[in-house]
Amino acid sequence: MTTTRERMVFLDGSRLIIEAMARAGASAYIGYPITPVNWLFAGAKQRIPIALEAPDEITALQWSAGFSSAGVFPVTASAFPGFALMIESINMSFMMELPMVIILAQRLGPSTGSATTGGQGDLLLLRGCISGGYSLPVFCPSNLNDCWDMAAASVHTAVNLRTPVVLLTSKEMVMTNQNMDVSGLKDVQLAERHLHEGNGAYKTYGVNGNLAPPFLPLGNDLHQVRLNSSTHDMEGITQKNSPEALGNTERLKNKIEQSIDDYTYFDHDPDEGADTVILTYGISAEASREALGLLRANGESVSLLVMKTLLPVPPRIYEMLEAYDHIVVVEENIAGLLRELLYGNHQHDRIHGVNKIGHMITPQEIAEGVRQCRKPS
Amino acid sequence: MQEAILNDLKMPYCPGCGHTVANKSMSKALVDMDVHPLDVIVVSDIGCTGLVDPLLTCHTIHGLHGRAVALAMGIRMGLEHPDKKIIALQGDGGATIGLQHLLEAARHNLDLTLVVQNNMVYGMTGGQTSGLSSTEFKEPDRPESAVPGYDICALAHNAGAAYTARTFIGKDTAELWKEALSTPGFSLIEIVEMCPAYGLRKVQELHDVSDYESVISKNQRPTGGPHRAEGRSLLDALKPIEHTCEAPLDGRLEIIIAGSAGEAIQSAGDLLSTAGITAGLSATKKGDYPITIGTGFSVAEVILSRPPIHYTGIDCPDIMIVISQDGLDKVRSRIGEHTLVIADTKLGPELEGLAGPPGPTDLLTRDFRKTGGLKGAALAAIAYWLQDNGFLPIEALVEAASRHKHGDKMKVIIDKAVAA
Ligand code: SF4
Ligand SMILES: [Mg+2]
Repeated sequence: MTTTRERMVFLDGSRLIIEAMARAGASAYIGYPITPVNWLFAGAKQRIPIALEAPDEITALQWSAGFSSAGVFPVTASAFPGFALMIESINMSFMMELPMVIILAQRLGPSTGSATTGGQGDLLLLRGCISGGYSLPVFCPSNLNDCWDMAAASVHTAVNLRTPVVLLTSKEMVMTNQNMDVSGLKDVQLAERHLHEGNGAYKTYGVNGNLAPPFLPLGNDLHQVRLNSSTHDMEGITQKNSPEALGNTERLKNKIEQSIDDYTYFDHDPDEGADTVILTYGISAEASREALGLLRANGESVSLLVMKTLLPVPPRIYEMLEAYDHIVVVEENIAGLLRELLYGNHQHDRIHGVNKIGHMITPQEIAEGVRQCRKPS
Repeated sequence: MQEAILNDLKMPYCPGCGHTVANKSMSKALVDMDVHPLDVIVVSDIGCTGLVDPLLTCHTIHGLHGRAVALAMGIRMGLEHPDKKIIALQGDGGATIGLQHLLEAARHNLDLTLVVQNNMVYGMTGGQTSGLSSTEFKEPDRPESAVPGYDICALAHNAGAAYTARTFIGKDTAELWKEALSTPGFSLIEIVEMCPAYGLRKVQELHDVSDYESVISKNQRPTGGPHRAEGRSLLDALKPIEHTCEAPLDGRLEIIIAGSAGEAIQSAGDLLSTAGITAGLSATKKGDYPITIGTGFSVAEVILSRPPIHYTGIDCPDIMIVISQDGLDKVRSRIGEHTLVIADTKLGPELEGLAGPPGPTDLLTRDFRKTGGLKGAALAAIAYWLQDNGFLPIEALVEAASRHKHGDKMKVIIDKAVAA
């Protein structure tokens, strides 16, 4: 007996991420080996037209910036130790407005921690990694399907907004094999940079309407391009703190935040009349989905909200959370990073956490967390 | 004649600063070579050298301290036009911070020119010495135990740079610029300079103090560049798994396979997963092994399930297949009350001796090494277990094996295990 299923394969998240990014237009991958991004690197070597081994992570980001300034879309990947080394260069790329994607696969920290153990410990690092507190767009896949969709969204957002984007994932997402019918994957469009056209005057950071300036590559024959990592005016000339230069820097904040609705992704599974919502992201999302099933099967009403756009925090998330008396935030860390991101250091009684390190949080632990928070104290 | 690469703005440097002279030499060389400014990209570093940016009529990119060469490499690899000139400007401070990048550029021999303007101090931050300050160079706060500066020309040459030159400011360096800019591959010019504000003030002092003489050295090497290849779809590269038979399993089954490196534990896990999918189930698999993959334990965690699998973790498995002592040591603590343990004979005594679970009915031992050999013991155990309990039809395992490059050998092992 043969049942026709279009295309069932056994694969990991790394493969989906690289393939989706390649289709969206990633044409250089600059890698430096670190667990758990091994399979991303291996996939990129087969798939991305230029796949290079950089001697260290600072170089990886500098090469990425060089590629991007020449008009080639670069991707790199690391875990916390390498990402930490990249941060100054990510700031540079943010300031120069160079599109690229940095994949950050989380593992257990602090420091080198445990290379082959998953974790969710880097969210607040991303929130604070641009000096001045500006947000980088950060996407986070919650399952294999999202590996595809969020990888494509990362490239498109980076190109549309002329900015580095982080795809935040975890060891468990990129190094676990699962069956998947890949015939159901969405088509990925090629992301194309908005170019400056014609012979009219060009200012590298000149904008009209759209907050992301039109692009021209370094070395083009028509217009001088001035990319600059220091505070600069619209032409790209370094200025200490002139109104024009400070205005340009402010634009970087507005550029990312203004169009957040265009790149807000989430799964909301509301239960009619539920007073409690499980709020989660990334590798804890699948256990939360299973917990939802356990609770509902038991007649316990609960909703689920999985964030896929983590930064900047989409206003829609707060709107949805307003409806609940109890918010149970599930994440594989003990500090409660998403809780702190959303509600600060002085949290209201309605905010609860299910947290753990060293092992994935189980559906049973999540279900228990939901029950605990609803107990009258 | 081409337009100059420098505009009319006043040089931003202190009177007598070497950078003024160096930049004029760069401009003269490019005009002499008839290079259009838009065919030039200047990559500038942090420090006084980088202040030249606003004066340039070419493309400019102003990055981080010490990283100009790395950034220039990225640009060169990304640019489609080999005829564009890429010039990275650094001071001695930047060259010290980014020494690795400099060596990397030389090693790759990418077509770009690095000019290190060595005035032996970090001028912008108040005159600290750098890795290129010489033994004899004195500055007020410098300890007596000064060490020689890096001979970056020798380092770059030994790393493979096509062209390296050291010169002292004061004579016309434009000829060296021209030679460097017209040499394919990586070229480096170190210009030993004055910094009247914090360093030396006279050309003669530079000669007196420098650890190294003027030099020109060359390597005959092919110019580097990235390899480009159109990749093949990573999805098309996967052979689809057809659903050809039915598994009786209704729920979820969690299986741990544990053995040692070299015992094909991971491929046994893949095979079992593929067999499950062949029989219409969902499957997940993850591997756990030490960083040194050639030695120690190897553990595969497989979940087979009728409902779609969300949570991919296993705490206490339903089935544990243990082939070696390394594997047992790794997973022993995860044996639970309901775990069925299938183990190689030689592990039997230890497993029977475990206090508490598993009970005698939950332990099966066979000489799987005899059936499967070193690399086939785990597969033999899987085949034996499937034959025994029927969670999956054995044909699903045979089908999965047939996809494998060692499929024929695997099928023999499956047959033997089933017959045993
Ligand atoms: S501080 Fe030194 S290097 Fe900087 S401009 Fe003045 S003289 Fe030149
Ligand atoms: Mg200096």
